[in-house]
Amino acid sequence: MRSKAVVLLIVAAALLIQRPVFAHHSSAAFDSGKKVILKGTVTEWVYSNPHCMLILEVKGPDGQMVQWTTETQPPASIFPIGYRRDSFKAGDQVTITVEPFKDGRPYGRIVGAVLADGKILGPATSPPSNAGAPPQP
Amino acid sequence: MRICVVILGLCLAALRPPIDAHAQNSSSGGWMIPDWNKPPITDANRKPAPRRSLAGTWGPAEGAGAGTQASGVQLKPNNGKPENQLPYTPYGVELYRSHKALEGVDAVLPTQDNDPRNRCELLGVPRYNHYNIRLTQIFQDEYKIVILYQYDNRWRLIWTDGRELPKLVEGGVQIGSDLREQRFFGYSVGSWVDDYTLEVQTVGTMPEDRVWLDSTGRPISDRVRVTETFRRVDYDTLVWSETLEDPKVYSKPWETMRLPMRLHDPRTDVMEYYCSPVEQDNYNKRFGNAASGKEAR
Repeated sequence: MRSKAVVLLIVAAALLIQRPVFAHHSSAAFDSGKKVILKGTVTEWVYSNPHCMLILEVKGPDGQMVQWTTETQPPASIFPIGYRRDSFKAGDQVTITVEPFKDGRPYGRIVGAVLADGKILGPATSPPSNAGAPPQP
Repeated sequence: MRICVVILGLCLAALRPPIDAHAQNSSSGGWMIPDWNKPPITDANRKPAPRRSLAGTWGPAEGAGAGTQASGVQLKPNNGKPENQLPYTPYGVELYRSHKALEGVDAVLPTQDNDPRNRCELLGVPRYNHYNIRLTQIFQDEYKIVILYQYDNRWRLIWTDGRELPKLVEGGVQIGSDLREQRFFGYSVGSWVDDYTLEVQTVGTMPEDRVWLDSTGRPISDRVRVTETFRRVDYDTLVWSETLEDPKVYSKPWETMRLPMRLHDPRTDVMEYYCSPVEQDNYNKRFGNAASGKEAR
């Protein structure tokens, strides 16, 4: 069972392609390409500019609760892909995937989410792309 | 098993296409959500461009992210590659080195940055053309064209009534016998090159200690003449180009952008995307400072 989970985790990491971000900080702090899955309880969802923030309590490997602070792009960027003002509510049990800080502190940016109602949302780190080929001038 | 299901769900999240805007819009009570998943324009669905009209709600044809230009102006990303080196004058190099940006090949940590954007300063022309171009609304009448930028709800005027471009002079522009002030959006006049191409000239912008060209710290001075062309290729497509002539900072003119824009439904609800010192301060305290290493460990 464990090996199956590891394989799926590798597949997930391969699928979650790194996309360009635009942040009010450099990307140096992030462990680009690394993905961490967090299952926890939402304490706050801040729907604001220049970035939204999701704060959640996650039980660590030692059984201690850890507060994670995670970010997304601003509302105007993530609204079209389904992130709403009420997507997360305090007390919600959610699972999110983040690209974490390199130094191990509990911070990251959201690259995928499973909401309390089971709804699945994609990367919140970049504006939506057009799946179709662009018109050529 | 449960962890497998969660992982599988996240895989699907990564693979799923953007939410169908039509499905969302059918229940949005007329407040249409931007549709970034339009089918491409082909010979089968191409419609002719209207004559001398740029009016509409436009978004980058390759998706919202195509106008972000986080790595520098669209045609010359600041990535250190030889083909993207700019023709700086010695003063231009000096200016560039004095700018501490959060993006680009010479990016610094936020503790060291001095980008006016991070103080919610106006970006000015031409930087508004290189900062998160998203849904851009254009209105026009017989005298002028107005561009509404989504970022920070900013707007600018382009006069198309035949008036002359003001003369660029030290500290501002000369109009008749009047010395007029420098402006963040400068003074713009446009003329139709043909029925489908508007050429716009802008002068009289803010000096180099107030504005940058892009988010990687490239400079621009108040001696710049910005030339933009808006070419209506077909009904649904507009190509927005820009060339800079700034002898104070660059030794020769160069092209920054040639961005295809796609027409969106005119009823599309354009969300606010703004710089708020209050919200930015809250963000920095809770996340930005930690990302910068500014927070006490």
